[in-house]
Amino acid sequence: MSFKWWPIRRAVQLSIIALIASPLFELNLFNGNLAAGELLGIKLADPLAFLQATLASHLFIASFLGAALIVTAVYLASGGRTFCGWVCPMYLLSEISEKLRRRLGTGERTYSLNGTRWALAMTIILSILTGIPVFEILSPLGVSSRAIMFNGRLPLLLVGAILVVEVCVARRIWCRSLCPVGGFYTLLGQISPIRVSFSRERCTDCGECLRVCPVEEVLTPSLADNMPQITSGDCTRCGDCIDICPAKALGVGVWYTHSVQSKEVSP
Amino acid sequence: MRYYHLNNLNQHTGISRRRFLKDGMLVPLALAVAGGSISTLFLRRADARGFYLRPPGAVEETRFLAACVKCGKCAQACPYGSIKMAGGEAGIGIGTPHIVTREVPCHLCPDIPCAKTCPSGALDRKLNDIEKIRMGTAVIIDRENCLSLRGLRCEVCYRQCPLIDKAITIEPRHNTRTGVHSIMEPVIHADKCVGCGICENACVRDKPVIRVLAAIPGQKDYYEF
Amino acid sequence: MGLSRREFLKATAAAAAFAAAGTALLKPEVSEAAEDGIKWGKAPCRFCGTGCGVLVGVKNGKIVATKGDPAAPVNRGLNCIKGYFLSKILYGKDRLTTPLIRKGNKMVEASWDEAMTLIASKFKDAIATHGPDSVAMYGSGQWTVFEGYAASKLFKGGIGTNNIEPNARLCMASAVTGFMTTFASDEPMGCYDDLDLGDTYFLWGANMAECHPVLFSRLIDNRLKNPRVKIIDFGTRRTRTSQMADTYIKFNPQTDLALLNAIAHVIVEEKLYDDKFIKNHVVFKKGKTNIGYGLEDKFKFADDPKPMTFDEYREFLKTYTPEYAAKLSGVPAATIVEMARLYADKSRKVNSLWTMGFNQHSRGTWVNNLVYNVHLLTGKICKPGENPMSLTGQPSACGTAREVGTFTHRLPADMVVTNPEHRAKAEKIWGIPAGTIPAKPTYNATEMFRALDRGDIKVVWIQVTNPFQSLPNLNRYRKGARKGDGRFVVVSDMYPTKSTEVADVILPSASWVEKEGVFGNAERRTQQWYKQVDPPGQAKNDLWQTIELAKRLGHGNLFPYKYVEKEMWEEYRKFNEGQGKDLAPYEAYTKARGLRWPVINGRETLYRYAEGHDPYVKAGEGIKFYKNKNDGGKAVIWARPYEPAAEAPDKSYPFWLCTGRVLEHWHTGTMTGRVPELKRAYPSAVCEMHPDDAKRLGIKNLQKVKISSRRGTIILPVELNGRGKAEKGNVFVAFFDETKLINELCIDAYCPISGEPDYKKCAVKVEKA
Repeated sequence: MSFKWWPIRRAVQLSIIALIASPLFELNLFNGNLAAGELLGIKLADPLAFLQATLASHLFIASFLGAALIVTAVYLASGGRTFCGWVCPMYLLSEISEKLRRRLGTGERTYSLNGTRWALAMTIILSILTGIPVFEILSPLGVSSRAIMFNGRLPLLLVGAILVVEVCVARRIWCRSLCPVGGFYTLLGQISPIRVSFSRERCTDCGECLRVCPVEEVLTPSLADNMPQITSGDCTRCGDCIDICPAKALGVGVWYTHSVQSKEVSP
Repeated sequence: MRYYHLNNLNQHTGISRRRFLKDGMLVPLALAVAGGSISTLFLRRADARGFYLRPPGAVEETRFLAACVKCGKCAQACPYGSIKMAGGEAGIGIGTPHIVTREVPCHLCPDIPCAKTCPSGALDRKLNDIEKIRMGTAVIIDRENCLSLRGLRCEVCYRQCPLIDKAITIEPRHNTRTGVHSIMEPVIHADKCVGCGICENACVRDKPVIRVLAAIPGQKDYYEF
Repeated sequence: MGLSRREFLKATAAAAAFAAAGTALLKPEVSEAAEDGIKWGKAPCRFCGTGCGVLVGVKNGKIVATKGDPAAPVNRGLNCIKGYFLSKILYGKDRLTTPLIRKGNKMVEASWDEAMTLIASKFKDAIATHGPDSVAMYGSGQWTVFEGYAASKLFKGGIGTNNIEPNARLCMASAVTGFMTTFASDEPMGCYDDLDLGDTYFLWGANMAECHPVLFSRLIDNRLKNPRVKIIDFGTRRTRTSQMADTYIKFNPQTDLALLNAIAHVIVEEKLYDDKFIKNHVVFKKGKTNIGYGLEDKFKFADDPKPMTFDEYREFLKTYTPEYAAKLSGVPAATIVEMARLYADKSRKVNSLWTMGFNQHSRGTWVNNLVYNVHLLTGKICKPGENPMSLTGQPSACGTAREVGTFTHRLPADMVVTNPEHRAKAEKIWGIPAGTIPAKPTYNATEMFRALDRGDIKVVWIQVTNPFQSLPNLNRYRKGARKGDGRFVVVSDMYPTKSTEVADVILPSASWVEKEGVFGNAERRTQQWYKQVDPPGQAKNDLWQTIELAKRLGHGNLFPYKYVEKEMWEEYRKFNEGQGKDLAPYEAYTKARGLRWPVINGRETLYRYAEGHDPYVKAGEGIKFYKNKNDGGKAVIWARPYEPAAEAPDKSYPFWLCTGRVLEHWHTGTMTGRVPELKRAYPSAVCEMHPDDAKRLGIKNLQKVKISSRRGTIILPVELNGRGKAEKGNVFVAFFDETKLINELCIDAYCPISGEPDYKKCAVKVEKA
């Protein structure tokens, strides 16, 4: 039995949901949700939520900044969009609906990964201009966390609508092209040291990694241009490609590597 | 299929201008517009359906809506379950905390745990005196149906008020109908009332005759030039 | 046709003005007019001893509305919120509708025949095996006169046992013994008109604002109309009454004995007493001291009155200097002197009002005597606007328990079983063989439940009351009821209560206007009502239940009535005739909004013992306490000392615990707890505590605390700034909450003379929960 990442990742995703739900069972582990919360007394906050709230309200709370910096530092060190792949409940829901989509064979359309950074820019600009933290209003992350923490399940229709679009029209559109939180973590991911590593030697060009990856464009520089690491910030560090590769050409890299490998062209 | 798609991709990670315009901007923009028009369902004023009573220590409403990140910590901190998270009917206030006083009023915990736990300053963490809270002001809005004003012995709002004899006092006056009883009128002092809503919650009428409305700003006694 | 609501209200307002102009009766066609098919009938309120009148509106066999009766002189159309929601008390969801018999741990539905057969057999067996004193009846100051009379007749005149006690033993017994020892006749000499006519009111241990709401409203209006009026609140806790009084004087629990003696001391030393009044109307007596606390089972006490001279009384009072009383009570000596002079102020019409602070007291009889002493020394008694008035807690503690005499030692009309002439008279009126009524009293209420615990009483029938929430030292008596071994507990009630929980048989009972009845309130006003709706399911009138048992025990001959209520009334009247407690024929009460006895030739008496008001007082007599034949028609000033409480705070239990009521709920909350509006207004009990005490113990407002006494423990949220503000070293908890049985902590010490337990004083400790 070779080592697989996905059971660990699944466990972490479910633990996050359990933590969000823990106050319902009177456990004093975690309060709040992924926008702002407190884990065993340590304040944590979504850096984008911090930016929206502070820019919209002009209220500066030092502990809020501190909480956001802790989270930024953690994801900077661990890969950026690791938040998406390992923590975000929306990603988990979206993975489940992806399984359904594949079975139905629908929703093959994709849109550019750049959309998340556009969404990030618009969120910040609108928050400044309107004085409203726009993403927090629409956030399916917020909606799903609050549905776990309290009653008020009606706004879950928003989440449901997104999942329906993902199954029927355009796969993984939220995480790939729309989520501004993802856009923020993409920026961190570009400079984070934890990356997927690629070995040209072992690669047999079978294409399995492309099939399982939600943001398959990130693999192109390596597969096409022999880059030794997946350097794109859009990589969610989910490890599905590492798990699926039959040739063990993909692995975890913990520092920056720049040298381009060459492939011997077979006759 | 995917392989074919891969072969057609650019060698570089960069993208051409055309691609940028087509895939980069146009489609997300279109989706944003479509989403935006649906979102007008959400993006209306928070109080379009009525006054929302914010938890203790809340800053002024516009600023509150800007600062609140809808994390739910205040609601979890409340030992009585008074703080509820608004749903879609609250427009841009979706997910913001509020108190429905007729269902569960604020009980004015002395250490104000809700305000203390707010990360973003939507609730003032430094607030430590329950008498300085200004969530709203109680008003007897239906004098004809108030039992105390009809001369019956009620005054439940007064006796249950956590700031009894400060926020609400009783002013007795002669009951001219019976001639030998007094009408015990509850009088609310807006400068002391914190708007907790215990009075509204306790009112024995089917539809409470005392309600918490938006806090009234104070005024001076004398006229100032 | 029907009147609109607005027209109806206007009409009743006009009618009230009509009534206020002096006419006692309202034109029936206005107040009982049909509105939208609603038929209105009069009834007294089901709750406190104020005895407000209400109108009950019935439509299609169901009560659809109640409102204050504008024609009722007590309240003139007003109510408190308990009275406002009266109609709802009958319609709680869990109303008992079938008899239930215990089988193991479950209560199983049964027919009335099954239940009554079982009950009768248990009674018969117990009487046959252990004698008539092994069965008992525990009734209530909420019994109608008929229910109390029937129970008394069955047990004393049929079964031949004095084992009948009302819950009024727990609320008014000390007032009764106070009246009996001072005046040789129960019940006040004044009436509610005193609240309108006086100008000085001393309230002692009485939270009138919450417990006699409509009377308090009347008192406050007097002050609004007459700025000279002064209200002084003597209390151990700052209440809403204190808030509206002119002066609130806090004193240490139990020291009311010292304070009243000190006030008498000042009046005597400064020669402020009415010498002529004393010579003509007063004798002095002293009784035993160091009289115990009734803590041991079968505690017995008999006082030994000895006459005194005024000089001996003066000598007795010498100890009670204002300084001495100040040291004990915490009331400044100067204040005591000021109050004494206020009491004696010849230009003022002075009244004293009290309820449970005086009565639920281990020296309750004494403290009742002492307040009368002050009025007797100054001659401020038996005058319109100037009287001591004992306020009653229950709607018919006066009318039923006290006037019918449903106590172990009593018979109707102030008579006692120990007096052979009284027994003979009762036997004659009841038509039973001489010697049927036993001569010896058996148990007061507390002793009755101790006897059940020990097994000396095997069978007890509880009607219209909830002792297994309201008894002090509750744990012992709850456990005692379920000890088995031949014990059999029958409970008649309208709802499941803490008492039905321990019952072997539960009988569903009709309540209030589901039966015809008569209540008597605190001002001697007897009020009648007709049945207006049927009780639900198979629920039956307690009167029917008692007569049914009587028939099955072979005593059906005691109840040979066709129109039970009326014929019973006319029989009961015979006891009162010529005794200074005369009641009018039944018809008079069906028409009137109550009549204050003695009613002679249709005329009610506002002021007893006073010439021109009380027909028993002959011309030229002025004032005569004619019931006290032994002392020549004079009242008694008793030399009663200060003695400490049964259980005072100490190092381990450093707080005084006091219990009581709130306006929204009544007694054990079985009725008011089922009115959603009243429950919403005041959902659950809290512990009142002084903020300094809380701070010292590290307790914050609203935090849960654990209160414990030597007898029980309870966890409650604390309230530091509520409607009642405890003084330092004191805590207060209301007893209406059936999830917070505070009476488990109370001590079952009682006044040796009255048998009334002290619910206001025991020692507890308080910790963070």
